[in-house]
Amino acid sequence: MRLRTLLLSIALATMAPALPALAHHGWTWAVDELSELTGTVKAVYVGNPHATLDLDVDGVVWHVELAPPGPTMATGFTEETVKPGDQVTAIGNRSKDPNETRMKAVRITAGGKNYDIYPARVPQD
Amino acid sequence: MEEALGAIEQLGVVQALKTSFFAYPVVNALHILAIGALVTTVILMDLKLLGLFDEMPEPHFIRLLRRIALGAFVVASATGLALFSVRASEYAAMPLFWAKMGLIGLAALNFIAFITIRNGPRRVFALVSITLWPLALLAGRFLGFVL
Ligand code: HEM
Repeated sequence: MRLRTLLLSIALATMAPALPALAHHGWTWAVDELSELTGTVKAVYVGNPHATLDLDVDGVVWHVELAPPGPTMATGFTEETVKPGDQVTAIGNRSKDPNETRMKAVRITAGGKNYDIYPARVPQD
Repeated sequence: MEEALGAIEQLGVVQALKTSFFAYPVVNALHILAIGALVTTVILMDLKLLGLFDEMPEPHFIRLLRRIALGAFVVASATGLALFSVRASEYAAMPLFWAKMGLIGLAALNFIAFITIRNGPRRVFALVSITLWPLALLAGRFLGFVL
């Protein structure tokens, strides 16, 4: 009986680290404040599981996450909207980890046009 | 290698999966379903080898669960390959992706060793298995936060 309890505890303990990972979705990893990044496009991907944009900001590559492809394309932003070398501004929430160059974008500005990825989170201007 | 990965991404079905609203989440859900069945049955078999559930006859117990585990492994691999194909070059450049493949490979080898080596150290195989499969699961879950 004691062995059984021990083994079951070990089994559960090996699974426990999965809990924070399962909870780690959406915005939890990002700070609450919005900030702005301007850089040149290194790569653009509009597809599942979510669209991404890699921006070179003064020599540092930022990984900008957009929404899943449906909502992203609904704003008019597709893989043809920007190409490597284009200047783009992203407004969004940076990672809480200051060493991680990652942002969850709410608005992308490219070619003088705004693409509001998460309109409800874009500040009213 | 890079051309091959790029060619996978350009396949018609893969392009459709890439921007699909339904197909990708469904494939993803099947991946999760298969993983759940796989890891659960594997852990139950490992615990059995480690001495739990003595009241159940081992041949029946293992025969049932192993069938589920093997079927689930096939589904997990097929759906995993589909998820991979959408961003093949990105995943292939991620150490974490290869860590996950390595863990799955080692776990599979451990299984093969277990069924081929007669009178082998059963508890050791079980302990290796019960460690590697949950680690593969963790590596898989973290992939989505690194890409
Ligand atoms: C050949 C086999 C496999 C391949 C090629 C594969 C590939 C993938 C890919 C590409 C993803 C998507 C990651 C993302 O969100 O960006 C994924 C997700 C995942 N995989 Fe696998 N996988 C395989 C087998 C397995 C196995 C055997 C397990 C478990 C032991 C596993 C656990 C996971 C988990 C937990 C996720 C996250 C699902 C989610 O949160 O949506 N995978 N896999």
